[in-house]
Amino acid sequence: MNSTSKALIMIGSPKPGKSASGTLATHIAENLVAKGFQIDTVHANEALRSDEGVRSLLASFDNADVIVVVFPLYVDSLPAGLTKALELMAEHRRAVPIDRKQRMMAVCQNGFPEAHQNETALGICRLFTRDSGIEWAGGLALGGGGVLDGRELGKMGGMVRNLVKALDIACSDLADGRPVSQEAVALMAKPTMPKWLYVAIGSYGWKRLAKKNQVLDRLHDRPYQESRK
Amino acid sequence: MKALILNGSPEPNPTADAVRDILLDELRTYGLETREFVLRDEKIAYCTGCFGCWIKTPGECVIDDAGREVTKAIMESDLVVYLTPVTFGGYSSELKKALDRMIPMLSPFFTKIGGEIHHQERYDRYPGMMAVGILAEPNDESARLFETLHSRNAINGNAPGSAAGTVVAGCEVDDIRTVVEALFSKTGVAQ
Repeated sequence: MNSTSKALIMIGSPKPGKSASGTLATHIAENLVAKGFQIDTVHANEALRSDEGVRSLLASFDNADVIVVVFPLYVDSLPAGLTKALELMAEHRRAVPIDRKQRMMAVCQNGFPEAHQNETALGICRLFTRDSGIEWAGGLALGGGGVLDGRELGKMGGMVRNLVKALDIACSDLADGRPVSQEAVALMAKPTMPKWLYVAIGSYGWKRLAKKNQVLDRLHDRPYQESRK
Repeated sequence: MKALILNGSPEPNPTADAVRDILLDELRTYGLETREFVLRDEKIAYCTGCFGCWIKTPGECVIDDAGREVTKAIMESDLVVYLTPVTFGGYSSELKKALDRMIPMLSPFFTKIGGEIHHQERYDRYPGMMAVGILAEPNDESARLFETLHSRNAINGNAPGSAAGTVVAGCEVDDIRTVVEALFSKTGVAQ
């Protein structure tokens, strides 16, 4: 890639503030900037709030040589806002074809410890590229994304060593025009902690938050139970 | 017995209408009282990923709009049918918007299902699940991914039975009926 290469980094988390996907996107952006890319970062849900936001997203899409989509797994696939953004992008590409190669990588993280639960979501991203004339560079799947919680990867120590390495390899692959390597895929899929520990920390975290909100005794409420009868 | 159709067509569409009519017909035959949400006509905000439905108002979304009503209707049903254009092998954003708001049906805590970690059930019983996807043109890859996605949803949704299939836009009504009848048979409703 030359120094004028452009990348669109699209964050699919609907959270308005910090997010695990944002953490990953920030690292990818920094990495690609260091490789000479000019970056446009777009939050899908924010872009959808106005016509201007959608126009700006589509302009960034048209300008991009590389597209990176980073998102949390929602109900085994992409969050609805990101799905809507991809629908608009595919529709736009059908209406306004471009005579230039674009490549896309997708990074999906989920709240379960297993990375493989992201496979259907990455499949959807791949078929988006197929339907939009974009070259599929590959997908990275991360399990246990909850541990990132909007923090900076650089401050998280050895726990994120493999995923940082995976992102760095994948960014080099993107910059050099290669498909995302299997080494990056395998490193990204490595658990950040043992499954039992992730489950224990998760359970403790939900109870702590419920207690803070004074609903610890209501965590198992069934507000629609009567409706089931 | 109650059924719920979640119609995720982004706009009126003759094939979607034909599928819907056949679904209603079949559901009536099996004696299911049916309710339908045409999701494009409902005000449903995007899930914001706040987890308030688990740690602030357990079991109910903190956003007070039709998303809550859809979730309640799902829990009232014995069978939920998704009707959607197949979008990159998945669901339309209209349908997905409603599905993302369903997580209060589950508990935040974890359990193991088939060796994988999933969320624990909040309720004792969940509805069966069926999905009919409309392909813009024949495409095995998209159809397979659609069926895989729905089968994954059925695991997370604790569905006692599930089935998904696709039809191609503009196909004959008889072709649609064949697909729909096979899906009813697979979900166990036809027994």
